[in-house]
Amino acid sequence: MRNVLLIAELSLREATRKRLVSVLLVLSALFLGFFLFGVYRLEMRLDDRAVQAGLDGRSPTGAANLPVMFSALFGMYLVYFLGSLMGVLSTVGAVSGDIESGVMQSVIARPVSRAQLVAGRWLGFTAVNVAYVALLSAGLLGGVRLITGYTPPEALPAAALLLLAVTVLTSLTVLGSTLFTTLANGIGVFVLYGVGFTGGILSAIGTFADTPTLTSLGRVANALMPTNALWLGASYHLQPEIMRQVGEVSRGANPFTSSVPVEPLLVVWAAVLAALALLAAMWRFSRRDL
Amino acid sequence: MLGGMSEAAIDTRDLRKTYRGRAVVDGLSLTVPRGEVFGFLGPNGAGKSTTVKMLLGLVQPSGGEIRVLGGRPNDPAVRARLGFLPEQFRFQTWMTASEFLDFHGRLAGLSAAERRTRIPEVLGEVGLGGRGHETLGGYSKGMLQRAGLAGAILARPELVFLDEPTSALDPIGRVEVREIIERLRARGAAVFLNSHLLSEVEQVCDRVAFVKAGRVLTQGSMRELMGGVLPVDLRVDTLTGGLLDTLARLGEVRRTDTNTQGRADVELWLTRDDQIPAVADAVHAAGARLYALTPRRPDLETMFLDLIEDTPEAARAGRGEVTRA
Ligand SMILES: Nc1ncnc2c1ncn2[C@@H]1O[C@H](COP(=O)(O)OP(=O)(O)OP(=O)(O)O)[C@@H](O)[C@H]1O
Ligand SMILES: [Mg+2]
Repeated sequence: MRNVLLIAELSLREATRKRLVSVLLVLSALFLGFFLFGVYRLEMRLDDRAVQAGLDGRSPTGAANLPVMFSALFGMYLVYFLGSLMGVLSTVGAVSGDIESGVMQSVIARPVSRAQLVAGRWLGFTAVNVAYVALLSAGLLGGVRLITGYTPPEALPAAALLLLAVTVLTSLTVLGSTLFTTLANGIGVFVLYGVGFTGGILSAIGTFADTPTLTSLGRVANALMPTNALWLGASYHLQPEIMRQVGEVSRGANPFTSSVPVEPLLVVWAAVLAALALLAAMWRFSRRDL
Repeated sequence: MLGGMSEAAIDTRDLRKTYRGRAVVDGLSLTVPRGEVFGFLGPNGAGKSTTVKMLLGLVQPSGGEIRVLGGRPNDPAVRARLGFLPEQFRFQTWMTASEFLDFHGRLAGLSAAERRTRIPEVLGEVGLGGRGHETLGGYSKGMLQRAGLAGAILARPELVFLDEPTSALDPIGRVEVREIIERLRARGAAVFLNSHLLSEVEQVCDRVAFVKAGRVLTQGSMRELMGGVLPVDLRVDTLTGGLLDTLARLGEVRRTDTNTQGRADVELWLTRDDQIPAVADAVHAAGARLYALTPRRPDLETMFLDLIEDTPEAARAGRGEVTRA
């Protein structure tokens, strides 16, 4: 365990030293600033309209506040997307990069087992990626709340699902980096990400058009890559009742959000998948020539 | 440390590695006793680095047996007692040299106090004293190899693998590496030196093995490999017939050169060190003046070329006839 923590610490220091952390923080601040400025203008506009309509205030959960609700929801979609992108890009060479550069040889010649090394890399990169998504979510939802006074109804379960999604993605990326070159891994994980998104679309259309084949195809895709399904589950928690009703009416027409909660089994499977990917990475790396 | 003291540092039996059906290491059997400096020589692509990587557990053998310090290299407890300088010395460029050594010291299980004293010590030993605070990204190629060398000897290993340790070094660096190897030997550590720099191997190695295409062509001490001969170059003012006869009794006169006026050169092959003073005595007794009496190191380069170009049999048969122009 000492070695795992040592490697994890190394990965964190590497992320800091290679300016990964500072670039992330600066760009995230820019993204949040840009987004929240938009929300601020929206809020002013809505207030103006409310005054013009002769009302003295809006209910945060009423229909008049729907634009704010949508901006919080899609803001979180952006957080999910950016978190995934950044999770893949930062982790894509977690193991393969060091093999390709030759750094791995001198490390593995030390009394550290290969499994420990993979576990340490995973821990370090998961910590960075999870912290990033947590920070971005908190910044976005906190900012929206400060400006408009609105908070999505179940922000914490939603954030938890997003953190699970980014953990799954990190695990799969670490697995890929023990199997493939950095470049091939990056392409592979993005294709997988696409598979997850396709799963969401197929399920949506399947439900909409009542086509069981499409629905089961969607299920397969979701099992392969549960991140999109986790986002959809998070999106359910981010919508107040009124939005869910709107979603129910347009059922299936929108692959970005869901009006039903995520199946608990899928959440369990996602966690199992993350663990399996990590174990497979440890196993695979232990058998590889350097 | 005490546990496996009686075991050899390295013991392999019929070690093989095949890459896509091609044997890269092909039935290698080696024994390196503790405390020995062992030279592993061979042309490019002979399988030297692959062998070292198998001995370190970086590459899984396709067959055969390996024992390193009495255990298996896949066991971290065995690797804790090894040092390694890879052929491609690439390290985390974002680290300073001190951080790099600190990281490796922690991996090797050195305590914080040990690391504090040991890191400046090894940096000084490889000629990087005072430059530990610079990042490796800014290091020159030779400095990087020195840093890698510092890492290899950091944890006071019992067995050190050096894969072409002077490939990027200046002449001073080469001498320093030789001194480092000699200090390791003095401390009782074994050294496995991969190289094709014959002069380097000649000067420090107790024993050498020649490999080609994954097979050992021949191995033994330098003297054994030369068939037990000790070539000596002798220069006197005049070479009388009587002196020549005496010399021929002491050893084998391989070559004489009396073309230059007032000077005669003789190449003499002796069998033992203690015959060298006898040569000097013979020169004195014959009334000739002695200008030079130089025992020559076994000529590895000639041997290398012979071995690599020919089959081992042809090389061994041909060595007797070698005469130098
Ligand atoms: N990962 C690999 N995949 C395929 N072939 C390999 C691999 N590693 C080494 N080889 C082959 O094994 C042979 C021996 O390589 P090795 O690096 O051990 O040679 P070497 O004796 O160290 O040579 P050099 O003096 O050039 O360092 C080469 O022919 C090389 O092509
Ligand atoms: Mg080599």
